[in-house]
Amino acid sequence: MPSPNARGFSSPIAINPSSPTASLFSRKKSSTAMSTAASYLSAVSQADARARKLTDTDSTTSTPALSLSSSVTSSSGETVLDESPLDNRDGLTYPKVPPTSEQVFGTVHTEFGHCGNEDHRFTAGFKPGDQWKPVIEQEPPHYILLSTYVSYLLLIVIGHLRDFIGKRLRPSEYKHLMKQDGYMALNSDFDSFYTRRLKLRIDDCFAYPTTGVPGRTILLIDRSSPDYNRTYVPVGTRTRALNISSYNYLGFAQGTGGCADAVEEGIHRYGVATCGARLEGASLDLHTQAEALIARFIGMEDALVSSMGFATNSTIIPALVSKGCLVISDELNHASIRFGVRLSGANVRMFKHNDMGALEQLLREVISQGQPKTHRPWKKILVIVEGLYSMEGTLVNLPAIVELKKKYKFYLFVDEAHSIGALGPNGRGVCDYFNMDPRSIDILMGTFTKSFGAAGGYISANKNIIDRLRTSGHSGAYAEAMSPPVLIQVMASMASIMGISIQQHDKAAAQSQQVIAYPGPTPSTALPPWMPLVPTMIDGSDGKMRLRRLAFNARYLNRALRRLGFITFSHDDSPVVPLLVFNPGKMAVFSRLMRTRATPIVVVVVAYPATPLITSRVRFCLSAAHTKEDVDTLLQACDEVGDLLDLKQGTGERWPLQEIMSRAVEIVNELP
Amino acid sequence: MSTTTAALEPVFTFLSYSYASLESSFFKIPGSHVVARYVRSSHQNDPGRTVLEIMLFIFAVRTLLQSRTRADHSGKHFIKFEEKEIDDLVDEWTPEPLAVDLSPKEKADLVSVPVIVGATGPKPKLTTGKTVLNLASYNFTGLAGNETINQKAIEVLKKYGLGSCGPPGFYGTQDVHIQLEKDIADFLGTEASIIYSQAFSTISSVIPAFSKRGDVIVADRGVNFAIQKGLQVSRSNIRWYDHNDLHSLEQVLESVEKERRKKGLPLTRRFIVTEGIFDCDGVMSDLPKLVELKLKYKYRLVLDESISFGSVGRTGRGLTELYNVPASQVDMLIGSVATGLAATGGFCAGSDIVVNHQRINGTSFVYSAAMPGLMAVAASEGINILRNTPSILSTLQENVRSIRAILDKVDCIHIPSHAASATIHLQIRLPSPALLAPNMIPPSPALSSSGRHSNPLSVIPRDPPQYDYDLEERLLQDIVEEALTQGVMLTRAKTLRGQELADVRPSIRIAVTSALSRKDCEKAAGVVKAAFVKIVGKRR
Repeated sequence: MPSPNARGFSSPIAINPSSPTASLFSRKKSSTAMSTAASYLSAVSQADARARKLTDTDSTTSTPALSLSSSVTSSSGETVLDESPLDNRDGLTYPKVPPTSEQVFGTVHTEFGHCGNEDHRFTAGFKPGDQWKPVIEQEPPHYILLSTYVSYLLLIVIGHLRDFIGKRLRPSEYKHLMKQDGYMALNSDFDSFYTRRLKLRIDDCFAYPTTGVPGRTILLIDRSSPDYNRTYVPVGTRTRALNISSYNYLGFAQGTGGCADAVEEGIHRYGVATCGARLEGASLDLHTQAEALIARFIGMEDALVSSMGFATNSTIIPALVSKGCLVISDELNHASIRFGVRLSGANVRMFKHNDMGALEQLLREVISQGQPKTHRPWKKILVIVEGLYSMEGTLVNLPAIVELKKKYKFYLFVDEAHSIGALGPNGRGVCDYFNMDPRSIDILMGTFTKSFGAAGGYISANKNIIDRLRTSGHSGAYAEAMSPPVLIQVMASMASIMGISIQQHDKAAAQSQQVIAYPGPTPSTALPPWMPLVPTMIDGSDGKMRLRRLAFNARYLNRALRRLGFITFSHDDSPVVPLLVFNPGKMAVFSRLMRTRATPIVVVVVAYPATPLITSRVRFCLSAAHTKEDVDTLLQACDEVGDLLDLKQGTGERWPLQEIMSRAVEIVNELP
Repeated sequence: MSTTTAALEPVFTFLSYSYASLESSFFKIPGSHVVARYVRSSHQNDPGRTVLEIMLFIFAVRTLLQSRTRADHSGKHFIKFEEKEIDDLVDEWTPEPLAVDLSPKEKADLVSVPVIVGATGPKPKLTTGKTVLNLASYNFTGLAGNETINQKAIEVLKKYGLGSCGPPGFYGTQDVHIQLEKDIADFLGTEASIIYSQAFSTISSVIPAFSKRGDVIVADRGVNFAIQKGLQVSRSNIRWYDHNDLHSLEQVLESVEKERRKKGLPLTRRFIVTEGIFDCDGVMSDLPKLVELKLKYKYRLVLDESISFGSVGRTGRGLTELYNVPASQVDMLIGSVATGLAATGGFCAGSDIVVNHQRINGTSFVYSAAMPGLMAVAASEGINILRNTPSILSTLQENVRSIRAILDKVDCIHIPSHAASATIHLQIRLPSPALLAPNMIPPSPALSSSGRHSNPLSVIPRDPPQYDYDLEERLLQDIVEEALTQGVMLTRAKTLRGQELADVRPSIRIAVTSALSRKDCEKAAGVVKAAFVKIVGKRR
């Protein structure tokens, strides 16, 4: 129970330095959790010695040290759901290499992996003078493309044949696709063809039910389908799998730790509901505080939160542009942006993904031509790009766009749904990564679902714009306000990334907090006074550790996959890594093979319509919660499955897996 | 001459050689002879066809090579400029500001929004330090702040963390989400249900998932903003009927059918879209009659119960329970988990086919992260409480009655809302004949039967009510502020004027809660009455 000691603090800021369980990575941990037996000490020294010389991770099972590590983890291990603590063959529940006496981890290994190796850290970002290098898109051999097209063709032909024959032989099963007693079919044949005849075949790879924390590992609720994926029945067992699929970049999906404690305290104080829209009596002081903190985090003047990430775009864009305005949108922008633009009534033009030449060409054309037919000048032009593209793993070429912005006077909207928190030395997103002033961009939008382990989204900009959006955006008047637990999770995780500078609640301090420069720590006065804080949050070491672990993992996986010969589109520092499989059939096999390995791994597979038809892919989402060993496990699985499915089609230098794994640190620190 | 021929000699030999080798290798391909014979004979029979086919081939190649993002140079409106001219035009162009600054009135409105310190509930504390009676928040059944729910939420927090960290399709579906979907379906008596992570984004995603270009939607003129957005995105053919006037609906249904027969149009999907209790004025739909009409004309019924779910019926199941109509009669029943169960999100309940279709085609379901697990459990627990405690709803109805008993009698208040509605809209009734608003609803049956129908293509009814929007809005805001000084938190029904399809008549929206005692309700209603009399009376 990490909570009771965190409650009821009377100090202006509830710092809790001696809390035995609420702190992350506390080195001064009280020794009650660890027994004082002599066997324990000898086990520790053994473990130390082993850790120093150990290279083969598989040689250590069932040692006294293992039970030691389990006693540490299970002290706060309520999230380990109904699992036998002894079954650790796959290394998911407890670390394969037990921790040394120096390392004491306050996190639960299944949620946030134990990693004490300081070499497995990295800081990624642009230094002044760095040049933008686009990711080279590798083309697969022609036979792969051909077989992909042929397999789609085959699927479509067979699907139509089955429909044709089925409708005649078994009309009862096709009833919902045909007109009947005066009603037109609800889903017409054509609309649902893709779903029924293509997706259904691989439907077992989607919407897999899970339980527990979607952290480093995830518990799958096993299911089987008696009727070829039409329906599923749970088989009654659960499988713990390595989770490379959740948007949990900084590993804040945790049921324990500083953020969870803060949320728990918050639920006691605020409940879970806001009961209405912001402008209709559901504004809490928490909303005001969170918005101020977010603005400070982003480095903008003001911010506005919205209770759903999708709705942030779809309800805010219509308040910015309308008829007579032009939106220029990257061709791979997210559905929510398209939805919002469609609602706004503005004209839309698209440019080739990340192609600055094409964007400039388009800008010159639209500005000189003006509105269609009338040739009147556009009222305003809004360029919408994403910071980190969720399906490609590519980064926006922000320096170039900002250059163009100076010349062409358009407004710039950057959707940082995936990049906020996940990129930059300080976790402040693409601006931080490129070492640019966030205020050189008009509107920065982002979500809390991904890096902050919460829900919803924000818009940040200057005060005038935000006030306009508060008044004219749809969510202010109609949509439910963000709920208190979510707000608290956002504030706690954000403070953890920023670090906190302790200030007294008085006038002079309130004045001085204004001058703390971006991207500095947050003054403690910006947080609710009751919020329990742990030392690692205050000094920012927790956040720094997360950022650096994520950067290491991202660069390691990206470079290792290329060295293994896979084709990926992603930028080296992107925590989203798509692995191209092209063939729709291979996609499903890939997912199933990974899930049924001795160490099960869950990955996301994506195909048309979320991607172009031929570039079906597997998408890995890395997290700070993963350890280097987890990435190794993933690489090994990819290596084997890749050989089996003939996926290693990339060009360039290739290394054997063992060499990659042993030279990981070198690979990461290599200059591009 | 001969020298040039001599010079070109090697070229010709090369060409003829490569032609010969091409030909021989072409004929090595099995079946190539057949193709060659076919081409030869078709060219012999009709040389024009060869030309046509070559053109077709070139066109196909061109289409394939054209990028989706190409610039539109081919249009006849395209003006060709020199680079220099473009530079000048770029320099000349000055965009409008991205956002228009707020007007003083808008600023004042924004400042006047009350901010609650601590938990919301029947008696929240405001930033001004004042504790007020809350008639503004949607907390019909008093579930907000419920200790059991909070405790459950904390348990789930410890097991699941907060966020779901993924869209439902990609490992974001947790067992608690599946449980909530099952709970809602059981509670309402439908085959299945699907949850969205925001109530506002639910129906605007449900409608376009089913209704496409060319389909027909018959909608009420008073539908809420979320529905309007759904209709807009669907790009279907929209026909409007007068607000809550089922005669008008029948006429529109009849005219659509007549038109289809006359033009011999093919059968399309057809939907009736309306609300259970309307967000704009609290009027209630006559569900049995709606169902009768939809069955008669073979439409599908999309019913938005965002206000009525969790506020009417014996246990809060909404209109279907109130009228004793099986929920399966409503094809798509949309409700708000945020409003009805004091959590977050929305749902759509219906048959398996309806629900499963949305799992791939409901835009804001597919592309958005699943709601936090603890919110799903909070909602499930809410359903559990409603199911087991019918007294909550009877208290709510008593509170509604006691408030209505006081406010109904006030001269300067016009209440369009249904007597059982837990949202009570208070409009201003001014005595001056110029401003005396004709009753917006329901239009008298005599009017519609006399043949003076509204145009179904326009959202504006034939005889729109006359009122002074700005004046009423200002007066209502004064009343809200007056009530606040007397310790009652009210809110105007906020609408985005100019973005709504038609102006919504300004009103103060009271959301009654069962968490207040009868005495408190009467006291609050007294304050509202006094504020109305004071502010509106001043003008007399």
